[in-house]
Amino acid sequence: MATINITFDGRSADVPVELERMISDTDVRRIAVELVRSGGVPGLQRFELREDAFQHYVVDRFRGAHGEERIYLRPKVPFGAC
Amino acid sequence: MRIVFCGVGAIGSTAALLCRNLDATLVFIDFDRVESKNLLSQAYVKPSVGKNKAEALKLQLHNLHGVKAESFGVRLTRDNVETLCKGADLLVDAFDNQDSRQLLSDFARKAGTPLVHGAVSADGTFGLVRWDERFVPDAEDTQGQATCEGGEHLPFLGLLAATLARAVQDFRKHGVKRDAFVHPTAVTPVPT
Repeated sequence: MATINITFDGRSADVPVELERMISDTDVRRIAVELVRSGGVPGLQRFELREDAFQHYVVDRFRGAHGEERIYLRPKVPFGAC
Repeated sequence: MRIVFCGVGAIGSTAALLCRNLDATLVFIDFDRVESKNLLSQAYVKPSVGKNKAEALKLQLHNLHGVKAESFGVRLTRDNVETLCKGADLLVDAFDNQDSRQLLSDFARKAGTPLVHGAVSADGTFGLVRWDERFVPDAEDTQGQATCEGGEHLPFLGLLAATLARAVQDFRKHGVKRDAFVHPTAVTPVPT
């Protein structure tokens, strides 16, 4: 079991997912679009979400405290002095 | 403890003010000057307009809060990063571009100096505080991408700066390195 955390439109939510293999960043973005469209992400449902909504988003991958896979899909954060 | 803030714009200047209670020497590095428009989103006051940001922040801390600090009004480069940062016990990155963040990260890893990053998205809807062990600098979508300097996102920037200051203080007092996601309405600790 892995967890995808999606940050979008000022909100963030965890979604547990079953992954049988390592998935690419492109796959993460595609899956996230489907999850958000379908209402699978608590508080983040958007029926009309564009296919490329997460095109410029960053995928971070970490291991949790118990070794579980955590995948974060988030906006870029290039700034500190805006 | 010597804490060096690299970049004292919106996030860096506000976080630095929120670290003024620490028993530490605060040091500021920034080549930029305070402009009138910065007063809406950064911790500067009107008499600071025209001054170098690092120098202005040092003066404000001294004159308004009675706290002594140090300042270096220069751009951080490969030629001076070691000179400016080698005495640091903690580095705080609040730069506004990928190259400077990478430069600082390279130095911190080589020198073994703890480094925490504070960073915000262009649209002011998301920010993160992340320690260097888990940080990769993001590029702008387009070079020179516009940022939120008009003060529109000031409460959010304050939240992010406070979260960064919290991370600095927790490290100073307890030696812990906590990451966090920052949204306009919430701060979420990130499991590490």
